[in-house]
Amino acid sequence: MEKKLSEMGYEEEGIVIKILGGLRYKIAGMGIRKGKGIKMMTKQPIKGPVVVTVDRSNTSIGLGLADKILVQVKK
Amino acid sequence: MGQANVGKSAFFNRLTGAKVAESNYPGTTVDFTKGHMLFQGEYVDLIDVPGTFSLQPKDKAEEVAVKMLGEEKEALVICIIDASKVERGLYLALEIIEKGYPVIIALNMWDMAKSVNVKVDTEKLEQILGVPVVPTVATRGEGFKELVSRMGQAAPVTIEEIIRSVGNSSRTHH
Repeated sequence: MEKKLSEMGYEEEGIVIKILGGLRYKIAGMGIRKGKGIKMMTKQPIKGPVVVTVDRSNTSIGLGLADKILVQVKK
Repeated sequence: MGQANVGKSAFFNRLTGAKVAESNYPGTTVDFTKGHMLFQGEYVDLIDVPGTFSLQPKDKAEEVAVKMLGEEKEALVICIIDASKVERGLYLALEIIEKGYPVIIALNMWDMAKSVNVKVDTEKLEQILGVPVVPTVATRGEGFKELVSRMGQAAPVTIEEIIRSVGNSSRTHH
């Protein structure tokens, strides 16, 4: 199933399939790119950032950014 | 240079004998520090900069790092990468190489990477990138002799050359 990163639930895992807008270069330095495995670690309430794990490192991402990352979620 | 929390300041302290604040938190260094180290028989300046994800700065500390790199046109860059997160770190390393700086890559926290079973083929990485790659443990000083002795081998490489050698070697997964 395809979801926005911002819609993923706790502990949900998936693979990044699309990065919208010109954000590709902005987040490449964080290790997030198409084809990369990603896992949701923490979600903050009230439009707060999300924390995801990519390659064993935790990275926090603003919700605006997380809205623009599409993930194929593992069932 | 390197991303946040890869051990840049620990490196700096090792190489210069200085005591810059280091801690196990990303973003400890927010300004740059200059020091001296002995390299090929003479004292040269060594600059410790804040961590940055890429050369497109997103905050003040990253700006300091990127600006510093821009001002030091003659610099040799020691690019420090967390050995267990090589892919993430290579992005910045490649950006610096692309700018035409001679680069030497240090795969720091080599002991940590080992303990989580991450193995990196440094020879292959060296072949592909065309720059020296040295495993190090900054907190214990491991790999520093090799690092300093190989700094002279750092030479500018073009991205085209790297792309060509990536094409020639089969992709390795770590």
